[in-house]
Amino acid sequence: MAENKEVLLKVDHLQQYFRLGKRDLKAVDGVSFDIYKGEVFGLVGESGCGKTTTGRSIIRLYDITGGSVYYKGERICAGIRSYQDAIKQARKDLKEGKISKEECEEIVAKNRVEIKAARADHKKWSRKNKDNKLINEIQMIFQDPIASLDPRMTVRDIIAEGLIIRGIKDKEYIDQQVYKMLEMVGLVQEHASRYPHEFSGGQRQRIGIARAVIMNPELIIADEPISALDVSIQAQVINLLNDLSEKMGLTILFIAHDLAVVKYFSHRIAVMYFGKIVELGTSDELFAHPFHPYTRSLLSAIPLPDPITEKNRKRVTYNPILDHDYSVEGPSMREIYPGHFVYCNTEEFNKYRAEYEGKAE
Amino acid sequence: MNKDVKLSVNNLKISFRTDAGKVQAVRNISFDLHKGETLAIVGESGSGKSVTSKAIMGILAGNSIVEGGEILYDGQDLLKISEEDYHKIRGDKIAMIFQDPMSSLNPIMKVGRQLTEAMILKAKTGTKNARYEFNTKLKLLGEVINAADENLGVDNKSVVAEKLKIFDSFCIASTKVEGAFNDAYGNATQLEVEIDNLIRFLELKRKIELDDELKSIAKSFNEAFNPYVVVHNQANDDCLARLVAFVKQGKKVDGEEVLPTLKEALAIIKEALAKDKPNFFTLGYYLYCNPNADVTTLAVNELNQMTRQYLDNNFMIDFIRTAEKGVLYSHKLSIEAKKALLPELRVAIDYFKSGDIDQKTSEKFVKDLNAKVDKAIDRLSVKKNSTEYVFHTAFETAVKEYFDGIKKNPVEEKIYLKNKKKYDAIVAKGQEPDWVLKPQVIVDLDLKLANICRVIEKLCASYEMDIANTNVFDANAHVIEIIDFLKEQASRLVVKMNDRIAKAKAIKLLEEVGIPEPATRFNQYPFEFSGGMRQRIVIAIALSANPDILICDEPTTALDVTIQAQILELINNIKRERSLSVIFITHNLGVVANMADRIAVMYAGKIVEHGTAEEIFYEPAHPYTWALLSSMPDLETTEKLESIPGTPPNMIYPPKGDAFAARNKYALEIDFELEPPLFEITPTHYAATWLLHPNAPKVEMPAIIKARIARMTKERK
Repeated sequence: MAENKEVLLKVDHLQQYFRLGKRDLKAVDGVSFDIYKGEVFGLVGESGCGKTTTGRSIIRLYDITGGSVYYKGERICAGIRSYQDAIKQARKDLKEGKISKEECEEIVAKNRVEIKAARADHKKWSRKNKDNKLINEIQMIFQDPIASLDPRMTVRDIIAEGLIIRGIKDKEYIDQQVYKMLEMVGLVQEHASRYPHEFSGGQRQRIGIARAVIMNPELIIADEPISALDVSIQAQVINLLNDLSEKMGLTILFIAHDLAVVKYFSHRIAVMYFGKIVELGTSDELFAHPFHPYTRSLLSAIPLPDPITEKNRKRVTYNPILDHDYSVEGPSMREIYPGHFVYCNTEEFNKYRAEYEGKAE
Repeated sequence: MNKDVKLSVNNLKISFRTDAGKVQAVRNISFDLHKGETLAIVGESGSGKSVTSKAIMGILAGNSIVEGGEILYDGQDLLKISEEDYHKIRGDKIAMIFQDPMSSLNPIMKVGRQLTEAMILKAKTGTKNARYEFNTKLKLLGEVINAADENLGVDNKSVVAEKLKIFDSFCIASTKVEGAFNDAYGNATQLEVEIDNLIRFLELKRKIELDDELKSIAKSFNEAFNPYVVVHNQANDDCLARLVAFVKQGKKVDGEEVLPTLKEALAIIKEALAKDKPNFFTLGYYLYCNPNADVTTLAVNELNQMTRQYLDNNFMIDFIRTAEKGVLYSHKLSIEAKKALLPELRVAIDYFKSGDIDQKTSEKFVKDLNAKVDKAIDRLSVKKNSTEYVFHTAFETAVKEYFDGIKKNPVEEKIYLKNKKKYDAIVAKGQEPDWVLKPQVIVDLDLKLANICRVIEKLCASYEMDIANTNVFDANAHVIEIIDFLKEQASRLVVKMNDRIAKAKAIKLLEEVGIPEPATRFNQYPFEFSGGMRQRIVIAIALSANPDILICDEPTTALDVTIQAQILELINNIKRERSLSVIFITHNLGVVANMADRIAVMYAGKIVEHGTAEEIFYEPAHPYTWALLSSMPDLETTEKLESIPGTPPNMIYPPKGDAFAARNKYALEIDFELEPPLFEITPTHYAATWLLHPNAPKVEMPAIIKARIARMTKERK
């Protein structure tokens, strides 16, 4: 079912390491996924597992360490450091006599070509390159509506800022667009001249959404847009995002840790654990047949509005050391059945496969 | 369920003074918290749930005004006691867990230090208080027993005095034995942790200062010897001797060689810790009478049996019989005083109800009645009947507020009229003033007067109940209560706390809340922990003082699902183990399903629905509860979510009628006119909505909830 859809964003072995003293903190470690046009792609995991970093890396708020991100088939960011590290390693190996000189030169040359290509792509997509409006097509909604809105700008300024940076000078057009956006997100024109502190949490998040939507984006990266909100207001924001994605055909990368909301909102879901995607599938399939033990433990922790079942609930705990034996063979991403990927080794793959077939019968 | 009410909040009203006017944050809420139950308070932000919890903790912001009501805990009204008295309750009796763990931990203080700080402080003040309470109660008992029988000769009096003296001495003697035991036990507990760590390090062949560690272990081992903990015998002494020999080797000591001895020591300690505790109270008496007896040869349960029998036969039964007389007498006196007081109270009610009152007479009433009511309290009783204890301050403040109102109202009105004149003048000119006309704050005198009457009436009702229950008064049970109380105070005298014991306790506590490697974590700073771990430390700190009531203010809102589930389980387990009463505040109904025994739903400063968890989730009755339930998706939801339109009302100008009416699609016409009362659905389930009125049109709950409940019931079957 996925084959005939257009891939809008392709993330390929994305790596994002942070320098932490002498060693690296592998925030995102080789993440790959595709997002199809018009779908809502959910990314879940506990805090600190790298979901937000993935989202931010895609719009190049960080310089990624390795891997590439393709938008509409063109590479918009690529990691350089991984190639540099490869060259360093090759030279070190040469010194220690592990590889011959020719081999080393070959590796160096190959990586240099990659670096050159990556730099060229970077330049093409950098912000300085003003002709390029494509980068405006990816917008982000941030988690904390209070922190992400400038307290000294009026709502009109905040929403219109993107248009002004794009170079539009027609004031009437800008105002018209701002009012249209305000209406679309459920606010009224009078709100345009107010400041962010005059709004409630849900309204502030709407302003954040309006700011993202006014650029007419194709892809919105929504980084926990509802986590900081009250339950009743969460519903308002989810409904709004749902309407927008239907009306404007938006594609959304939805990052959250509330599984019930992600399930409700997303078409496909990827579960992240410590910088890696451990399971990926359509939302119904993932919840019906969770394979990876971490996914199972996540699902068992969802609170339900049902006191009697809740009081008898058995939570599954996930302990990577006990649950996997990767001493013989390391894990990789494997497709259990069409559209459902799990991070596992051959032994586990066979086990999951058998489980699935057993269930299907 | 156990119906022992721990905390009761009655008609609480709190508002905040702001530039724009008075924000009415909490409007007349009442609830009881029973022993060992979890009460969840659910509502949107700004509904007043946090304000309520802060009022209980006594940490309201400076611009808050408590307009009325009472929070009763242990015979005290928490709203009226001084800051000094609050120190004894806050943290010690009522502890709180805040939403953001980082803001409630000191960033530049090691976690361990933050944990032990309160323990050491508490132990210091605890001893002093316990001594005082013990002495006064015992003295009172003696006085009452003597007064009970006027014909008591001098001989008999001296017998009573002798008995009390014996009780005093052996209580203290037993606490000394217990103190020695506690010291040894504390040492043993710490030793267990120390040896365990050392063994682990040695097995992993880590680099450590082995000689220093051994020295400290040998010292603790020596101090752990006690007839009831680590007994002096051949094997144990041998083990210690070997350890000391290793210490003497100094730096040259070899880890491999020490290991078997350490393991042996660990086994000894573990065995010692697993032993039963002897009953120190009875043992104390036995040792007091037979100072030279050797009791260490007996097994602990045999010892307990023997000493208990000895105490009962020789002293206790007789003592209880004597004390019973005193208790009965004291109770009789108190009831008689109450009977005499009742007519006087009625006179006072009539006087205040007449409306024709002046300050002087009223103040005389206050002085008179307060003195008499204070005297009528049965001081010997351990349980504190809150109405009697609270009456003094409540009556005084109620009268004071009334007369203050009389004085202030004309001044207020004058200022208001002056301002209004100015304001009107500007408006008449066709301009818009750049300042806001503040509404006048007039004290409602009728309400204040009614409040005075209510305070007295409440006392009357309480007195009448006491008088009616005289026949079923159980003196024996009361004596047992008093003895238990004295025992508890005496045992508090021996709680010895120093840095080392506190550390051992803190590490135990860290382990209890599920922090791995507590010994190393003890010396880390808060920023070295992840969010879930930090919240666990906050919970550990809250539990370190062993509180009665735990208030959790959105403890899991900042955490993600797996950790949220862990923290909830943790709070649940601890609650069960220590029979804590928990007030759990959250905006997420899903979270409370496995926590709460009862749920109160708050909106705009009022409780709109309260009932048991099952009732709220399976038979919700208020439209606001429906809205909350239907606005959160669950795993099966596919249809559009029913969000609540609009935002909560501005509480400076609370809306007329039902506050939720404007956002409520089921609102009736009357909702905009008149505030609905709490309708009873079942004896435990109440909801404030006109939909429950017999004349109201029948409205079904939203289909989305109905379908969900049906599905849940089906799945369960």
